[in-house]
Amino acid sequence: MENNDSMWALFQKRGVSRRSFLKTCAVVTGMLGLAPSMLPEVVAAAEKKTLPPVIWLHGHECTGCDESFIRSQSPLASDVVLNMISLEYSDTLSAAAGEAFEHHLKDVMKKYAGQYILAVEGGVPLADNGIHCMAGGRTFLTALKEAAAGAAAIIEYGSCAAWGGVQAAKPNPTKSVAVSDVITGKPIVKVPGCPPIPEVMTAVVMHFALFGQLPPLDAQGRPKQFYGNRIHDTCYRRPFFDSGMFVEKFDDAGAKAGWCLYKVGCRGPVAYNSCGNMRWWNGLSYPIQSGAPCFGCASNNFWDNGPFYERLPNIPVPGTIADADKVGMVAAGAAVVGVVAHGALSAMQKSKQAKQQDTDVRGPEA
Amino acid sequence: MKRIVVDPITRIEGHLRVELKIDEATGKVQDALSSGTAWRGIELILKDRDPRDAWAFVQRICGVCTTVHALASLRSVEDALGIEIPKNANYMRNIMNATQTAQDHLVHFYHLHALDWVSPVEALKADPAATAALQNVVLEKYALPLSGPMDFNFDAYPKDFPKATTAYYKAVQGKVKQIVESGQLGIFAAHWWDHPDYQLLPPEVHLMAVGHYLNMLDRQRELVGSHVVFGGKNPHPHYIVGGMPCSISMNDMNAPVNSERLAVVDQSIMLAINLVNYFYLPDLLAIGHMYVQKGYVDGGGLAKERVLGYGDFPDEPYTGIANGDYHKKLLFRCNGVVENFGKGLEAAVYHELAGKDYADPAILAEGVEHSWYTYPQAGKDLHPWDGVTAQNFTGPKEGSKTEWKYLDESGKYSWLKTPKWKGKMAEVGPLARYIVIYTKVKKGVIKPTWAEKMAVDQIDAVSKVLGLPPEVWMPTMVGRTAIRGLEAQLNAYINKYYFDKLVKNIRSGDTAVANTVKWEPSSWAKTAKGVGLHEAPRGALGHWVVIKDGKIDNYQAIVPSTWNACPRDSKAGYGAYEASMIDTKVKVADKPLEILKTIHSFDPCLACATHLYDAEGKEVGVVHTDPYFKG
Repeated sequence: MENNDSMWALFQKRGVSRRSFLKTCAVVTGMLGLAPSMLPEVVAAAEKKTLPPVIWLHGHECTGCDESFIRSQSPLASDVVLNMISLEYSDTLSAAAGEAFEHHLKDVMKKYAGQYILAVEGGVPLADNGIHCMAGGRTFLTALKEAAAGAAAIIEYGSCAAWGGVQAAKPNPTKSVAVSDVITGKPIVKVPGCPPIPEVMTAVVMHFALFGQLPPLDAQGRPKQFYGNRIHDTCYRRPFFDSGMFVEKFDDAGAKAGWCLYKVGCRGPVAYNSCGNMRWWNGLSYPIQSGAPCFGCASNNFWDNGPFYERLPNIPVPGTIADADKVGMVAAGAAVVGVVAHGALSAMQKSKQAKQQDTDVRGPEA
Repeated sequence: MKRIVVDPITRIEGHLRVELKIDEATGKVQDALSSGTAWRGIELILKDRDPRDAWAFVQRICGVCTTVHALASLRSVEDALGIEIPKNANYMRNIMNATQTAQDHLVHFYHLHALDWVSPVEALKADPAATAALQNVVLEKYALPLSGPMDFNFDAYPKDFPKATTAYYKAVQGKVKQIVESGQLGIFAAHWWDHPDYQLLPPEVHLMAVGHYLNMLDRQRELVGSHVVFGGKNPHPHYIVGGMPCSISMNDMNAPVNSERLAVVDQSIMLAINLVNYFYLPDLLAIGHMYVQKGYVDGGGLAKERVLGYGDFPDEPYTGIANGDYHKKLLFRCNGVVENFGKGLEAAVYHELAGKDYADPAILAEGVEHSWYTYPQAGKDLHPWDGVTAQNFTGPKEGSKTEWKYLDESGKYSWLKTPKWKGKMAEVGPLARYIVIYTKVKKGVIKPTWAEKMAVDQIDAVSKVLGLPPEVWMPTMVGRTAIRGLEAQLNAYINKYYFDKLVKNIRSGDTAVANTVKWEPSSWAKTAKGVGLHEAPRGALGHWVVIKDGKIDNYQAIVPSTWNACPRDSKAGYGAYEASMIDTKVKVADKPLEILKTIHSFDPCLACATHLYDAEGKEVGVVHTDPYFKG
């Protein structure tokens, strides 16, 4: 990436005084053959910092990633869009439309060739040469290839851009694929999720603003900072999994007590994302905290990974040789004591709420 | 005569193209074409899947209307399987629905629509002190002091007011100046800022609105609290068939919903009331009033002739939709069709639309005369339960299939189908809902609930401010945008109303959030059909599902933007977008800002509108090269 510092910023970095800076500007004014009255303009130009230009394209998507992006608390979307980057092209936020807008896109790609960041939201439909997604009278496929050619780096925002997404689920009628299936030979950052966590989306930009480079990536191209652990490993309900305490059915006593959702389909054990540690809405909640099993929405092909409420097979429960089906039948030491205690508590609850349907809380006798 | 193409239409959801034939001498739009230019085939993907997963798939039809398809889907599957959800789940879903509407409308006004009216360039000419003074006048003159019932009001004082200080507007102006002078205009680049319409408002209005644009961009995120608490995230919160996954307990330390969680939701609800009352509505009415005073009452189109609604907010759980129970329980009964509202209340005609009507092919059907699909029987429209479609992309009139110059208005030109009510076109959306409610209440068809009364009071109050009768200002571009703001206010209070009901119900000892009696597919009938209705922010939404042997056999949605953005029909005429564009005067042919305003007044959502289903289960010819595809 090229250095985007202004002349003034460089002077400051080197500890040179404002006076010297202004003197230099005066010299530059003379060198450029400008009248001395032009000095303020030269100073202003030398103080200007170029923000990294960003082009944000939309393919086959639902705009949920844009919506997620503007839900970010730290940094706020306004700070990102107006002060960290220069968002030069965005179907969702840009004022301009139509021909003037398309013309501007070409200008930006030319002016900042090799310097701009290309953010892509959405999958790329390949069927029938890409006619299932047209913008500006051209296929998204064409627009993507053109924009990618001059990009310094590409960000695949969301599971559609990163893996193909919901439209690529069986039978994938539009033959949608990931951006990286079409574009090669460029640094690509995958930021999957349906949508990704807002702060993860903005943090990728923030990282660039802070350190002038892309964040460190894992083997799949995802930022290690945000996709380095399984939900299962950062989940506050993990102790219940370890103790064999599971929600058996939605809204049973275990569900009210916030036990592990593994048996109602949670994909936490195979999902890499930051929901467990960062959570959504600045730490407020995430699906599991709201009682919903994780879908693994940042995982490749999660749409076709079996019905959502069917449990993952063969996830061993620690400290036992059994999987969750057997837990409760085998002596699991201290875990069983916990189950008994909670089972008793649940039984008390049940008697209080005559209206509540029968629940299936596992005790050691189950 | 000039033919103008605007593609892409920005600040919307999805991919939309419009083409116009404009008489340059008069500025009259002779013909207009609206085309949805993307198709993803979500419904095809649903075939043979577990109906309990459908809400999650269809939720991804749109991330702006993030909950709406999930809700319609759940309702359709529950209607098919005969599941009545618990009271708490009904209240929670209503809260999430009202949250969505209030938040979505606010974001639409400031971030998708405002730049059609106000310009950062004009804001530079404003006097910050005069802007601060204007802010005070606007709050005095354009606040709309109406409210809904509130049983638990813990808000000590209104916490969010617009700043009306010279220093604030100086600082905002300084930032705008910095952006303009940097040469990197970012999201403000390349727009038609020199369009004469930007001179209609004084510079101080521009500066005030730009300030609020930035302020609301940072605050809108706080309005979705209920989605994050009850559904785990936003966009795309989680639900389950039979109710909600977020169990309630005041006895467990780890419960998804407890007193503290309810406090978070309450705070978010109160914030929405604040932002709508003190920012959104005053700004909207001030700008709208200036436009109406200058004679801008065009862009109404189809709204004058025919509008349609389905009704929403079941006050209590219901046993089904197709059986009529849903419509008996609604808080907001905007279900029905109103014709000729543009001629005044006297001439307006109301038609009922309820229960079994949604299963009747004579009442609701879709055609494909100008859509890139073919039907087995040409010219015979089909009800969603029998929807048969096969892709038939014919390309443009001029250009190639992958490089379009002009689309073919006399042939097929859109991925949208054409939905019809009794063979006729209808407009849907906030404006349609308000026209239906207003007509029903004023004609004595219904005795109004508090929410229906509030809507009528809002209309009467705005008519007073503008000094015009409803039939003049409502079915216009400005009216469509203004009503959306009124609806945001109404929904902010509906949100509070259901929150209070939820609290009272938990207080009575009922903590159930899910009915799992029919969770297992073994408990379902061999074949079942259901309809799910919902008034989404953009209008009437219907999902129709057929379940066979525990799997989805047929899934079809008719969505708001399909009603509005659909291509024309030789018998039924123009859809709402096309009709409203033809009803709009354009000053500068190659900078049709007025068209952007008119189209934006509908709050387009094209990802929703383009879909296809092949009920025959006929293979769509696709060659898979995707290595992850497990065919």
